[in-house]
Amino acid sequence: MSKFYRYLNRPEGSSQDVSEDTGGLAVSRRGFLIGAAGAGFTLAFFRSGLSFAQPEDVVREGTFEPTIWYHIHPDGRIVVNIAEAEMGQHVGTALARIVADELEANWSKVELHHVDSDPKWGLMVTGGSWSVWQNFTPLSQAGAAGRQALIEEGARLLGVSPDQCQARNSEVIAGNQSISYGEIVQRGDLSRTYTEEELKQMPVKPATQRRLIGRESKALDIPGKTDGASRYGLDAKVEGMVYGRPLIPPTRYGATINSIDDSDAQSVKGYQQTITLDDPTGTVPGWAVVIADSFHAASQAAARIRVDWSAGDTADVSEQDILDHGVELIETPDKGSIMFPDEGVDDAFDGAGDVFQQDYITHTVLHFQMEPVNALAYEKDGTWEIHTGNQWQSLIIPVLAKALGVKEDKVVMRTYMLGGGFGRRLNGDYAVPAALASKQLGKPVKLVFTREDDTRFDSPRSASYQRLRMAFDGEGNPVGMEHHATAGWPTEVMAPFFMPKGANDQPFDPFSIQGAAHWYSVGPHRVRAISNDLANATFRPGWLRSVGSGWVNFALESFMDEAAHHAGKDPIDFRLALLKAEGRNAGEAPNSVGGASRQANVLRRVREISGWGENMPEGTGLGVATTYGQERNMPTWTACVARVHVDRNTGRVKLEKMTLVTDAGTVVHPDGARAQVEGAALWGASMALHEGTRFENGEPVARNLNTYTPMRIGDVPELEIEFVDSTETAVGLGEPATTVTGPAIANAIFAAVGVRLREIPITPEAVLNALKA
Amino acid sequence: MIKKILVGLIGLGVIVLAAFLVIAWKPSIDSVDPPSEGEFSQEQIDRGEIIAGLGNCQTCHTTDQEQPYAGGLAMPTPFGTIYSTNITPDPETGIGQWSEEAFSRAMREGVSRSGAHLFPAFPYTHFTKMTDGDVADLYAYMMTREPIQAEAPENTLEFPFNIRLLQAGWKILFFDEGRYQADSSKSDTWNRGAYIAEGLGHCSACHTPRNQFGAEDESQAWEGTVINNWYAPALNGSNRSPVAWSEDDAYAYLRSGGSPHHGVAVGSMADVVHAGLGLAPDDDIRGLATWLAGLNPSDGADLAAQQAAEAINAASNKRTPSSLMGEGERIFAYACASCHYNDPDSPNALRPDMALNSAVFAPDPVNLIRVTLEGVSLEEGIPGAMMPAFGEALTDREVASLLAFLRSSQTDQPAWSDLEEQVRNQRQQ
Amino acid sequence: MATEFELNGQAVTVDLEGDTPLLWALRDELDLTGTKYGCGIGMCGACTVLINGRATRSCITPVEDIAGATVTTIEGLDPNGQHPLQKAWVETQTPQCGYCQSGQIMQAAAMLKDFPEPTDEQINQAMGGNLCRCMAYVRIRKAIKMAAAEMNGAGDSQAETTGAAANE
Ligand code: FES
Ligand code: FES
Repeated sequence: MSKFYRYLNRPEGSSQDVSEDTGGLAVSRRGFLIGAAGAGFTLAFFRSGLSFAQPEDVVREGTFEPTIWYHIHPDGRIVVNIAEAEMGQHVGTALARIVADELEANWSKVELHHVDSDPKWGLMVTGGSWSVWQNFTPLSQAGAAGRQALIEEGARLLGVSPDQCQARNSEVIAGNQSISYGEIVQRGDLSRTYTEEELKQMPVKPATQRRLIGRESKALDIPGKTDGASRYGLDAKVEGMVYGRPLIPPTRYGATINSIDDSDAQSVKGYQQTITLDDPTGTVPGWAVVIADSFHAASQAAARIRVDWSAGDTADVSEQDILDHGVELIETPDKGSIMFPDEGVDDAFDGAGDVFQQDYITHTVLHFQMEPVNALAYEKDGTWEIHTGNQWQSLIIPVLAKALGVKEDKVVMRTYMLGGGFGRRLNGDYAVPAALASKQLGKPVKLVFTREDDTRFDSPRSASYQRLRMAFDGEGNPVGMEHHATAGWPTEVMAPFFMPKGANDQPFDPFSIQGAAHWYSVGPHRVRAISNDLANATFRPGWLRSVGSGWVNFALESFMDEAAHHAGKDPIDFRLALLKAEGRNAGEAPNSVGGASRQANVLRRVREISGWGENMPEGTGLGVATTYGQERNMPTWTACVARVHVDRNTGRVKLEKMTLVTDAGTVVHPDGARAQVEGAALWGASMALHEGTRFENGEPVARNLNTYTPMRIGDVPELEIEFVDSTETAVGLGEPATTVTGPAIANAIFAAVGVRLREIPITPEAVLNALKA
Repeated sequence: MIKKILVGLIGLGVIVLAAFLVIAWKPSIDSVDPPSEGEFSQEQIDRGEIIAGLGNCQTCHTTDQEQPYAGGLAMPTPFGTIYSTNITPDPETGIGQWSEEAFSRAMREGVSRSGAHLFPAFPYTHFTKMTDGDVADLYAYMMTREPIQAEAPENTLEFPFNIRLLQAGWKILFFDEGRYQADSSKSDTWNRGAYIAEGLGHCSACHTPRNQFGAEDESQAWEGTVINNWYAPALNGSNRSPVAWSEDDAYAYLRSGGSPHHGVAVGSMADVVHAGLGLAPDDDIRGLATWLAGLNPSDGADLAAQQAAEAINAASNKRTPSSLMGEGERIFAYACASCHYNDPDSPNALRPDMALNSAVFAPDPVNLIRVTLEGVSLEEGIPGAMMPAFGEALTDREVASLLAFLRSSQTDQPAWSDLEEQVRNQRQQ
Repeated sequence: MATEFELNGQAVTVDLEGDTPLLWALRDELDLTGTKYGCGIGMCGACTVLINGRATRSCITPVEDIAGATVTTIEGLDPNGQHPLQKAWVETQTPQCGYCQSGQIMQAAAMLKDFPEPTDEQINQAMGGNLCRCMAYVRIRKAIKMAAAEMNGAGDSQAETTGAAANE
């Protein structure tokens, strides 16, 4: 989940910059310190208010800024500490390379250390490519400060003046003399601080002298992922722990246990007992946990235990109910939040020569991260240890503290690799039943969810219903637009304090509407986001890879295609004509420099390289889509052309090729960036063609891979991926490609066989039905 | 069914009379002291061991590996359950008091030492073809086993089937006593195979359907049938698998437990191949293979390879290269294809190809259902290779969809009916 | 119930209920956590190990069924983690979250024995049971081909040694 935190601080559509208030984020306002700690030297940003403290004290007490610091050992190893969750984006590598480049470090000496949440370090933030964007400058300065200190100290040890020296490859060199960083650390005195002002003056290398950034490199987390050495949450173990397997009630909320009959489980060797959880936080109401010596025993016992539950109110809710409710909400004009002032929209529509309108549906999507959620919890010396992979510790620690009846500083989350995040592990709810069970039993409990437990307890991407309208003048030019979108709102349910207010003073979930505030100049524009309260009551909606932009853009970019055809224009020409880069779409420094013109640029480029306009064989077509990634504030300009072949007899869609062009500003780690685009593009395609489930009786129907069917290797199309060469601000890459591939595929199906699929996943049956209609 | 039983009973009536009139009574043969050690040469015992394997004695007479040949295997028949007997040289409960003459009479005439007629569940109808030498060697082997005291359970045959004397009549109708007669138009190798297959190895006991009297139905010889909840496939041209048995395929299958063009031996056939034929010399296996190929209109290994390639190609053309598939196809792609996919030109016996597999082409799905639910153990098939059981992983419906997909995409055979129910029943077995 | 087998070249005995899936025996009893749990129904491949050299889903393989067999996990594929596949995986930067990759590598190791120069179609079929939720498929394919090239190009003796772990 990239950019999440930054986004929360400055949500799309909100005018105020809230980063001032939240603290812990505005890293660039800190100074930097270098102090001895154990063997070696630690280099860290200090917290506000600590600028006059002695570096050694700060380092010893660990009161420096925890998110970005590094340590040089006497043997020359440079350990960069990373607080970001590692879930496949190789974030640690990207951050470390920024530091190492300025530090002139020998890359082979650089190691990563993923830190734990620790109360003394305060807010622990996790994010993905946001980190690169936000930390690029401060990390560069941190590296440069380290380099400067090492040069000064190295010069002293060599008996030369600093300006005779340069640093390269972890050595300070003066003429034919040199001294390694390790030796400087062993023999020198590196203690010093740099104030914020000094840091700002800190010379940072020009881009042309970079030796690591922008160059190919190997991610440091990868070797351990090829030999079984990497440790994930599921691998956590502690002396004396018992295994727990949850018994999950039939509804997410409101269920209560009437009775538990475990008589048949008594014969299972290793079965201990079944406990009912009493959860003061309401995270897991009506849960029981089977406790056993081994996970196998817990599972065997669970299959033999009968629980009599009274279900909550949503026991009958179906996907169709949720969608029907969405339509109702959309058709009730005063519902929802108007994202920004939309004067003139009604007039534009009233005076329009022509109004075009379409509705779009996206179905429930499961995270289905490969590692089912799990957590190991226990108390040690008065502190609760929670061992699990997690993306947003600070969201769940207060909940855990409340569940355990302790202060927040008595809860520590230990860091593990994430066997896939995709937003699932932003919501740490799975740690709560582990903690409750451990507290109740007085011993460590490792709670393991089976895949079926995981999918039942997922925070899925909510089904959505959207209605788009466009007003045209007599010449087929857009003169006004409306976008109404409703779905379950994750932020409302899990982090309501982060919801900005819209123009009508109603709060909205930025993650359930982002994407709609596009860069097309279409005249007055109304964007209305509506929370689907039935969805919110039935399940806990989740943030899922590319969040709102993933499904909002399915509708928006399908609609833009339809509108183009409606106006009798080529879908790319139609869009280009609207990407005018004027007014609010002109862009602003530093992040969206160039505005819509950069989106037009990627669109033109994808047209050039994708064979757009060429004749296609029968049943084959090209479809286009373009987005700004996820956020207006930090746009990643993206365009995609998909080529599909549709079998008219079976309705099966074969995705043959996707061509993607991305402008993400400066690309720090090109190969890693490409990997992110590959994965994200295929995710989008998978959601469009292969995945999706529906709610029946208050629960998702698909529970495992027999019914939930993400894309497999044989489904992967040819991928052509290109980045725009740019030295603009580096932005995120974790998800933007997800947002374009789905609508490009739907539009390609239209190009291939002339039918519109306005619902994802696109099933062969739906294609066949459309062809027959 | 009632009609069938009536016909059977009337038939039996006639038989009973005839039996009494002609040969009903057989004398008992005097008991002897168990032969002493050293009475037989080690060579003879070794030969006997191979004979015992070829005759597959252990499949019926060993239920507990710790107690070889002590009997006790329940054999359900339409007439009731028959239990295999103890054939260790234990004087009280086994055959310790049997002279070689008594042993030979039992083997070749189906009469026990006491003079009682044996039920044809004991395949004396085949053993009658054995040579004197083979019988003697087998006797030597059996009499030098560890004697085990173990009384076999009483048979639970219903009246009138429990009257042993009636067996005499049965023999009149269905039993031809006599040694194997070589077919001089065939090679020695073929004759060796035929001798084993028709005599000692009693292949048709499983692979030929039986009539209402429990006798092999010669009109359907080698056409395959369900026995002990496994389908013993047709060994002749009536087998619907795409590749006819070539000598090389048959040799590979019988020697190693699997052939690339047919599949692997599971269930009782795994026992036949490994426990039964394991010690047999290559010449015997070659003989069997030659004989089996002779039952089939095969033009040899080249044609087999070509037929296999065509079948695999045809089947793979029916697969969808995408997740947008039906349930059965999807399960195959996710759970099965990684092991069962082959290059059309070089199918691998360790990756049994479903487009060639007898179980998929069989008229009865029982083998495929059982293998899917129960897997293939390390000892079955080609030893050391296993297939995990999918019984816990897949629901009845999923197994049924998977099998229906295989049947429709990999074969040209009619769909199996009531698959889901059959899967459910099989699980309860 | 005690079950003996050979694990990564060493004799081991586990004392577990016979129906315990090998996966959990490996992970929780033998502390080899490189083998992962993803679905438990044989459809994701995360738990793939080699049993007597052949790729097998350990989540549905009861430990009692492998008595006497030889089991190789990702930890034992190569003594130094330098099997050609592992090297190719690093070279191509294939893993993202990495959770599926032990299974992918083990499946690929088995596949390369049967298909030493795999075509795209062979890869699609043999690797179709291995889900990668991060969708690192493009690189998985690339890495397999890279490793195959190395294994085929290497001299016979080397192919023997590097293949040994996978074979046994
Ligand atoms: S965990 Fe074994 S195949 Fe998924
Ligand atoms: S790398 Fe994450 S599931 Fe494959």
